[in-house]
Amino acid sequence: MIEVVPSICSYCGVGCGLGLRVQGDRIIGVEPQSGHPVSQGQLCAKGWSTSFAVDPAQRLVHPLIKERGAFREAGWDETLDLVAEKFREALADGGPTAVGVISCARATNEDNYAAQKFARAVLKTHNIDHCARICHSPSVAGLARTLGSGAMTNGIVDIDLADLILVIGADVTENHAMIGARILRAQDRGAKLIVVDPRKTRLARLADWHLQLRLGTNIALINGLLHIIFAQGWEARDFLDRRCADADALRRHVAGIALDEVVALTGVPEDQLRAVAHAYSHAKAAFLAYGMGITQFQSGTNNVIAVSNLALSCGQIGRPGTGINPLRGQNNVQGACDMGCLPNVFPGYQDVADPAHAAKFTQAWNTSLPTAPGLTSLGMTKAALAGDFRALMILGEDPVLTDPDQNHVARSLAALDFLVVVETAMTETAKLADVVLPAAAFAEKDGSFTNCERRVQRVRRAVPPPGEARTDWQILGALAQRLGQPGLRWPDAEAIFDEMVGLSPMFSAMSYAKLDRHHGLQWPCDGEHPEGSPLLHAERFPLGKARLLPVSQVAPAEVPDADYPFAFTTHRLHFHYGCGSMTRRSPLLERETPTGLLFMHPDDGRGMGLREGQGVRVSSRRGVLETRVHLTDDVPAGTVAMPYHFKEAPCNRLTNDAQDPSTKMPELKACAVAVTALPPGQAPRRLEFDEPAHERL
Amino acid sequence: MNAYELNSVEALRAHLAADRRLYEPRPDGQGGLHWQTVAADDAQAFEPGLEPPPFSAKAFFFPEREAMFRFERGRFVAVEPEPEAFTLFGLRACDLTAIAYQDRFFARDGHYQARREAALLVGMDCAASCTGGFCAALGSGPAVGDGLADLVLIPGASWRLLVNTAAGRAAVSGLDLKPAPRDWTRAREQTRQQAAAEQGDAAPLLAGIAALNAGRVPPQTWEALGPRCLGCSGCTSVCPTCSCFAPLDLPTDGGLRRERVWDSCLYEGFQKEASGHNGSPSPGDRVRRYWFHKFGDGFKREFGRYGCVGCGRCDRVCPGGIGARVVLKRLGGA
Amino acid sequence: MNALALSVLPRPMRLLQRYDDGEDARHFTFQLEDIRAEDAGMMPGQFFMLVLPGCGEAPFTYVSRPDDQGRFSALIRRMGKLTEALFELQPGEVLGYRGPFGQGWPRFYGKQRILAVAGGCGLAPLAGFIEDVARTRSGTHLQVIYGARHVGARVLSRERARWSGALPLIETLDQAGPGHRQGTPLAHFDTVFGQAPPDAVLCCGPEVLMEAAARECLGRGLRADQIWLSVERRMHCGVGLCGHCYVGDSYACRDGPTYRYDRYRELLRRSGCARELDRGELRHC
Ligand SMILES: Cc1cc2nc3c(=O)[nH]c(=O)nc-3n(C[C@H](O)[C@H](O)[C@H](O)COP(=O)(O)OP(=O)(O)OC[C@H]3O[C@@H](n4cnc5c(N)ncnc54)[C@H](O)[C@@H]3O)c2cc1C
Ligand code: SF4
Ligand code: FES
Repeated sequence: MIEVVPSICSYCGVGCGLGLRVQGDRIIGVEPQSGHPVSQGQLCAKGWSTSFAVDPAQRLVHPLIKERGAFREAGWDETLDLVAEKFREALADGGPTAVGVISCARATNEDNYAAQKFARAVLKTHNIDHCARICHSPSVAGLARTLGSGAMTNGIVDIDLADLILVIGADVTENHAMIGARILRAQDRGAKLIVVDPRKTRLARLADWHLQLRLGTNIALINGLLHIIFAQGWEARDFLDRRCADADALRRHVAGIALDEVVALTGVPEDQLRAVAHAYSHAKAAFLAYGMGITQFQSGTNNVIAVSNLALSCGQIGRPGTGINPLRGQNNVQGACDMGCLPNVFPGYQDVADPAHAAKFTQAWNTSLPTAPGLTSLGMTKAALAGDFRALMILGEDPVLTDPDQNHVARSLAALDFLVVVETAMTETAKLADVVLPAAAFAEKDGSFTNCERRVQRVRRAVPPPGEARTDWQILGALAQRLGQPGLRWPDAEAIFDEMVGLSPMFSAMSYAKLDRHHGLQWPCDGEHPEGSPLLHAERFPLGKARLLPVSQVAPAEVPDADYPFAFTTHRLHFHYGCGSMTRRSPLLERETPTGLLFMHPDDGRGMGLREGQGVRVSSRRGVLETRVHLTDDVPAGTVAMPYHFKEAPCNRLTNDAQDPSTKMPELKACAVAVTALPPGQAPRRLEFDEPAHERL
Repeated sequence: MNAYELNSVEALRAHLAADRRLYEPRPDGQGGLHWQTVAADDAQAFEPGLEPPPFSAKAFFFPEREAMFRFERGRFVAVEPEPEAFTLFGLRACDLTAIAYQDRFFARDGHYQARREAALLVGMDCAASCTGGFCAALGSGPAVGDGLADLVLIPGASWRLLVNTAAGRAAVSGLDLKPAPRDWTRAREQTRQQAAAEQGDAAPLLAGIAALNAGRVPPQTWEALGPRCLGCSGCTSVCPTCSCFAPLDLPTDGGLRRERVWDSCLYEGFQKEASGHNGSPSPGDRVRRYWFHKFGDGFKREFGRYGCVGCGRCDRVCPGGIGARVVLKRLGGA
Repeated sequence: MNALALSVLPRPMRLLQRYDDGEDARHFTFQLEDIRAEDAGMMPGQFFMLVLPGCGEAPFTYVSRPDDQGRFSALIRRMGKLTEALFELQPGEVLGYRGPFGQGWPRFYGKQRILAVAGGCGLAPLAGFIEDVARTRSGTHLQVIYGARHVGARVLSRERARWSGALPLIETLDQAGPGHRQGTPLAHFDTVFGQAPPDAVLCCGPEVLMEAAARECLGRGLRADQIWLSVERRMHCGVGLCGHCYVGDSYACRDGPTYRYDRYRELLRRSGCARELDRGELRHC
């Protein structure tokens, strides 16, 4: 007998609706939800493969305690007692600044709320973060400075209303497939499509204009466009007057830019710049979307500000079909931020440094709260390496695989006194833990996810968790109790949601019942917007008037030179997601993996005498790895790219951890590497994680 | 074939549901419409609506994941399906045609046949066309073809019931059914023509099929369609006649379980060999393959009809907007 | 259980022995636990599915036909997951077997002149055929051209040694050292056709080689219906159901893997590959 339980896809931030097909205690497949506002009855390959990701056959089903280097199964009580004791020791030893929690952008809002409450109310620390650091914190920081809020300003349906779509640094059909598909359909009905990307993505190949800029020259390109727009008087003067403060500084800044320098720097011909500047500024409604090709740079925050300058100058915001729309990666990265899994804010972006907010939470949670500022995840890593950090809890993240400079991460985790990882399956990070706790997957719990367009949507328990797995919030509740804080023992997920709603003004009019009725609601959803807010900033910006901030091109911290002659960038493959722990369990998606993982232009390949699929060694100043080359004109000559899903070729061993000064966002998208050929016929060596890369090779 | 007046569809449904598990397409309140169990005492009115459920009935006979055998202590042990008897209530003509097609394709597949034999099929003529369907052009609807279902519901001023098979006769025994008036076929034919007319002109679609089989489709057409295919496997999943699968070995406590799982010929890896050689290397090759499989005369020769039944599901599910209707029109040059 | 249910359930077989036989290739001997008539009735060119529990299954051709003890051999090249794991196995381990599947090479009667053209591991599917001719001395005149990349890449060394006494065998290498013939198999067609054109040609090897050989034969006056190829496709079920091995509207596991060249071309034409065929640059359908 089959039962279908409506839920939300857990693979990416688009948040497509799907029906889980349940047979007994197993999910055997999915059905589309034709009436779902986001996905309209369609799904991408990842969504369709959901049943493999949640397959209990490959799951963690018991708590595991490491003894003499090996894990043994243990009971919950024993394990939780141990974890509590270790945290107590760490707190006694190093104080609350020496402990922390890294939460999960894949877990539900309820889990994330519980995680930050656990850090703040139980461990008494603001050392709480999640992986947004490697995706979109520059969006939050940049847009906070220009608009006052860092989420997508418009909804996914707005693509249907736009007559021009501008995509910058986002491989949308591969990473946010259903948004990409919507863009393609918009083009079919006549909308113009512009893609700005150093790679020839699928969308770039189909676009009306593809500006194939040099890696890391986003600001130069956007300033060039603004130069043209202001010089021609194409800016939206009325909008600038009414809605923005001080356009003059920006006007002066871009007036001083020489277009031929922009052309030289970006490699984009002037006529293309002019055509795009004209099209974007003259569109009736231009939808601007950007992705990690903007944020994953040392200059990430400034890149975001440049994007914001462009949209504001042309008045392409605050109306249907327009907007500044950061495409966020993981399915609930928006929710993890909203829930306050950030060192500086409580749920609902309430500043921890604001005494009024601190007082509210102190009272509601009936406990004292920390005052010392918290650390980001990278900050915690560094503190650990410096010997200043004792105990860390990681929920459902695999930083060993996904963080920049992996050697560094592995070493820092090894430097901890105690690491506990809460996970659904064994990961590279979990292997390094002292204790591993088995977590329930999304289909095994009630809760909510928030997609990239701020839509809070319900997920439902379709099957019981395998073995002894529990939800994150149940685990955190039981642990909190052992640490003397009973305030995390909720009866169900809805009670957590209600507590969160009661404390966060921007969610104040939400409830599970209402989410069900509306197929999800977009925040802010409060007394003023009881049905949610599909469109932000129609009347005013959170800052009042928006700000145009002049920014200048900054070269990536590391550029190609004689020793490391190739520009190196990372990207994602359509069929894989994050570190691949979910997608690679699908035999169908696993099969899609290309043999060659280093993408190189055929001209460069020819120059080096490389054949398709030949083994190569790739090295940077930080690490070395071996893989096979895939020759493709997806990448321009001089640039090589690698997807980051594969533990046999972990490209983040190569990347740079140079950081964005304001968000500490690491520069994942650009560094310099050298490539050498392995003898034909020699297979690349696989790297094992317990062996540091340098010693091995 | 006997036709009866049917005073209450719900009464018939309750009668059938009392004997065996009965499934009917039901909305889930969250935008979905799925085949769901209906109990004998379920009071909800039978309101089939115009649209067919996005998922066809295929998975009842050819599930998306199905255990085939186990390997334990050096022995291979067959896993035989043990289906309980069930009824599918309200199957549309297109889906019934597809079931008949798969009956032929899987004629010698024990797993399929075991599930198929457990099913009682209750069909339903469509009172009006669904959006996007083109069954009339392919001879698979909107009225249920002869011999495709055990029982057929005929909409009209009031419902009528056709009893087609011995199994159908047995299933309705005990119900008090009055014969339909002699001219029942006339009303049925009228409804059929009306619904078929709503689907618009079939000529552009047939032109596409003709062009395909006459070798008149230039290769550039396929290469242009290729990038629009995101390789999602949606079309093959919802297509009621798609039948490709892949093996999956899953470890179990003392050995392993072999499953067969739905596959899709639109994946690049579908034909990829260990050497890297690929029988259908480009996305355009794979898109072409898909449509040849649905509309190629060679397959029609083997299975008695085209693989496409005109249900329109691929048009609805395709993120790239290249479902059957769109593609056929393009091939036909419309 | 009906007939098909039987053919999808693997039967146990043991790995008896193995030895290296070519570059990254090994010669394996297996033993079926229970033998059926169809095993011994297998036709050269047919194949079986080898099941390696946990690694799936893959098709291989028989190098020798199962004997009355159920023993038979195969020549297997290390390629991917399953073959990798197979190379690690010790004699005595239990594997699974399904088969025989597909259409073998045609049968020839009487005094026909047959040319077999093999490239690389493509010699394996022809081995049974060559063996039968060499053994039965039916009067069929068989010539074999075998091409390999270099000396070490040649497979079936023991078989080749045996055949070279019994029939004309031309071995040729892409990179030949002293004492070896140089060039692709096509380079030696003059020699073979010079005596008298063959009545039938059987080709097995990389698709580019088969296609080139077939075209060469056509150019030398043979008809397409005198030429056979053994086509390789990804396979899983072996019984025409899983869909992977399609060649146009046929399934290579059921209707192939050996195809008569005219029928093969017709399949490609019918499924829209006409352009590739006409241009002479074969891409695969
Ligand atoms: C009719 C036929 C006869 C063959 N005979 C021989 C032989 O005698 N000796 C030999 O060494 N090889 C033979 N092959 C090729 C052999 O089947 C592949 O090398 C083998 O499947 C690779 O499997 P893998 O698991 O190591 O590779 P992976 O890349 O891990 O492949 C995974 C699965 O894909 C399928 N697959 C991948 N490549 C092929 C392929 N080329 N052909 C068919 N299925 C494939 C198989 O089901 C395989 O298990 C034959 C192929 C066919 C179609
Ligand atoms: S686009 Fe994202 S949310 Fe939608 S089905 Fe694909 S992975 Fe899931
Ligand atoms: S191998 Fe399954 S159809 Fe041929």
